[in-house]
Amino acid sequence: MTASTIDHLVSVTVFLAAILLFISLFNQTIQTAILYQRHRHLATACSDLLDNMLLNPGYPLDWGKTNSTPTSFGLQDPEFTQYRLSPFSLMRLQSLTGTPFTYPRTGVTYSNMSIGFGNFLFVPYTEAINYSTAAQLLGTNNTYGFQLTITPIVTVSVEETHAEDPLTLVVNVAGTGSPLSNAEVSYCFLKVADKGGQKNPSYTSLFGTTSTDGEGSAVLNIQDVDADNAYVFIAYAHMSGLVGIGYHERVTGYKEYVLPLIDSFEDRRVLLVHSYNVHDFGPPESSVFFNATFVLLTEDFTLREMPMENSTGKLGKVVYGQGTEKTYQNLTIPTYNPGILIVTYQSNNEYGVVLMPWGISSMAVPVTFGSTYPLDKEWVVTDIRQVIVNGIAYQARLSLWSLKGYGVIS
Amino acid sequence: MMRTIEILLVIIIITGAFIIASLFAVLPSPRQVSPLNIRRLALTTLQTLDGDYDLSATVFKANDDPAWAQLQIALSACLPPNMVYNLTVYEVQGGGQLYTVIKSISNAESLGVSSDAASSLVASSNVTFSVTPEKIGGSQGGGVTLYILNCSDSYGWWITGYTAQSLAGDLYRLLSPYFGTTVMVQNTTQLGQILNGTAIQGETVQNAVVINTVGEAVPIPSGYYASTGVGYDSSHTSYARYCYVLGTKVRAFNWTWASIVGYPLYYVSNAGLFPNDQNDWGIYGMKQVGPAGLNAFLQGIDGQDYTYNGNWITDETGVVYLSSDASYYCNYYGIYPSPYQTATRALPDSILTAYHLSVTSYIFNKVSNWIAGAVYRNAYQGSFLALGLTRTPDIRLTGLGLLCAYKPRLYRSEYTVNGTSRLVVLQLGQAGGV
Repeated sequence: MTASTIDHLVSVTVFLAAILLFISLFNQTIQTAILYQRHRHLATACSDLLDNMLLNPGYPLDWGKTNSTPTSFGLQDPEFTQYRLSPFSLMRLQSLTGTPFTYPRTGVTYSNMSIGFGNFLFVPYTEAINYSTAAQLLGTNNTYGFQLTITPIVTVSVEETHAEDPLTLVVNVAGTGSPLSNAEVSYCFLKVADKGGQKNPSYTSLFGTTSTDGEGSAVLNIQDVDADNAYVFIAYAHMSGLVGIGYHERVTGYKEYVLPLIDSFEDRRVLLVHSYNVHDFGPPESSVFFNATFVLLTEDFTLREMPMENSTGKLGKVVYGQGTEKTYQNLTIPTYNPGILIVTYQSNNEYGVVLMPWGISSMAVPVTFGSTYPLDKEWVVTDIRQVIVNGIAYQARLSLWSLKGYGVIS
Repeated sequence: MMRTIEILLVIIIITGAFIIASLFAVLPSPRQVSPLNIRRLALTTLQTLDGDYDLSATVFKANDDPAWAQLQIALSACLPPNMVYNLTVYEVQGGGQLYTVIKSISNAESLGVSSDAASSLVASSNVTFSVTPEKIGGSQGGGVTLYILNCSDSYGWWITGYTAQSLAGDLYRLLSPYFGTTVMVQNTTQLGQILNGTAIQGETVQNAVVINTVGEAVPIPSGYYASTGVGYDSSHTSYARYCYVLGTKVRAFNWTWASIVGYPLYYVSNAGLFPNDQNDWGIYGMKQVGPAGLNAFLQGIDGQDYTYNGNWITDETGVVYLSSDASYYCNYYGIYPSPYQTATRALPDSILTAYHLSVTSYIFNKVSNWIAGAVYRNAYQGSFLALGLTRTPDIRLTGLGLLCAYKPRLYRSEYTVNGTSRLVVLQLGQAGGV
């Protein structure tokens, strides 16, 4: 009787222990399978969402060229099919990376998509599409978080290796995987003429073409340039359907310059403001005189200057003070074709050039839009597409994560 | 002791079950868990490379042309460094073997454990692809005549926003390629001429298609066709009798009469004939006939005797949708009107039996017993296209309805003719990992 009881007790104990052990083992297998399915689902959703953004232009179709908020979100260029994106819709996305700033004269806060000194792109928050709006329009709010990155495939870097007589510039062209040898390069060189005094600067321009060597480099020697001349060099490289852009400026002063701020997409209006409104370097606070021009990339990959009438506000001056003089100037870009606004300036014998893209493609501006990467999410999926933005090759990458917890994760 | 042994046996069985289940429950490789959509990447890479038709130009060049090396450089440059690829170009040809390999470029011997591919058919820049439409009735001679009523002395009604002349011009551009001869009927005198069976420009009057561009009104020639007992019903002070004559002419000449919008034949219009009359809505040069016009026309097309009948026969059906046939031919002919329209003058299907009509093609799906748009054919001869939609008219629907009824073929240049097209297949794989 005692033996039977002990037998019974031992067997029940062992049985219960074994059952618990096997439940745990089977549970791990099932948990792995469920997670696999969840992750697969997230990957599919990522691919679908990316196509949804890139293959529809949104509504209104030309919302990128207006000041209105779209009622449907999409980045496709309405004039094209396939993966061709609108350079203006992309320009209206609120940048995740740049530090925003507020222009004190108007109180407007700007999204900062600039890429270093002299290559400015500021879009007012009132006209930029923010992440929560896009998520609502896409139907992902409270379900998925995402980050969209649009980066140029071809990188064109310009390096100054000799300062004068001749000015020597080395242009390096590379893709994401390797350099682009034997690529055609067309360029535009603008030199600011030293005029001195309280005058609008003038400039001389030079256009030309060259090609890269086997290592993707091209060397250019430009005559009649002194070490104290300010200039800007813009180069487009293209080969077998891939097009990229690079630029380089030299300025003689970094304190007093002109800052272009987009004011209205619909009216193509840009505000030109004094740099002291952004960085106060202390006295002197001289007026800055400017002379603006606009260049386009033509279908044969050459750069062409587009004439601007005086009524567009291409000539003028900006001041820092609060007196009767205007602290900023309005400038109207003459076209909706993407191009580059080039503003030459002079102040206190300091000369320089600043650039602003009109449409992100014209200066190959990268765009990062969406939410920051979450640290507490166990799985983030990405998918990529090759896209074309007004002829410039870009890569679109979408990172997606679920905002809902997984019950199987402890 | 027996119980313990039994439990041990149970544990052995469950362990076996777990091991066997684990063997079958193969966990996916890390790459499969969150796959990159390689097929889409391949497709968009091909589209990017062909963005300015560079890819199309390169694949038709000789195999030793430097452009191939540039293509390979561009391919390597635009793909992520961990991607291996194989790009193969095939010649597309007819006959037995459809695809022949022209050239293949790759950056690795193997594409790894898994790969995916996308293809693109590119056309040679030296070839022009064209579409030649078949002429309606071309098998019986020079093809059917299209008459477009573009009468300068007739005003329109319910063509708000357009003029009859602009609609006529649009119709000419849309439909004239499908007809042997297209004649713009410039005034009501010329209309009277064709009603007499006399050609205007030497065209064939028999079997023609006549499109009335003045909406709910219809041009009426002065003189004989407006005279009492011919076009004018003096006992009812109505020109419904003229509509009856039109019906008889449609029957006699085997015409297809097209009404583009609203209630067909609701007014008669001639600025010279009715200088002081207006259509009850303030448009001078026009007289209202009312529903009697359509009833008389249907009597005429069916060869019945004329009887004045002023009963309203249409109804509002609201939103109507293109029929499946019409949707199919939208794609075939490349005409894309809005797939849904508003019908306020849909005809009852009772006219089919009353006037011995059959529907040769539905433009819109039937709603209950109401037909918003269709082409009707009389059992003897003569056809009638009626679009009972509200204003303003979409002239493409008339074109679509006629093409649905006649179904002329389109002869397209073949993309598979030797030397005109090449198929580019880009296969991608991921290097490294499992």
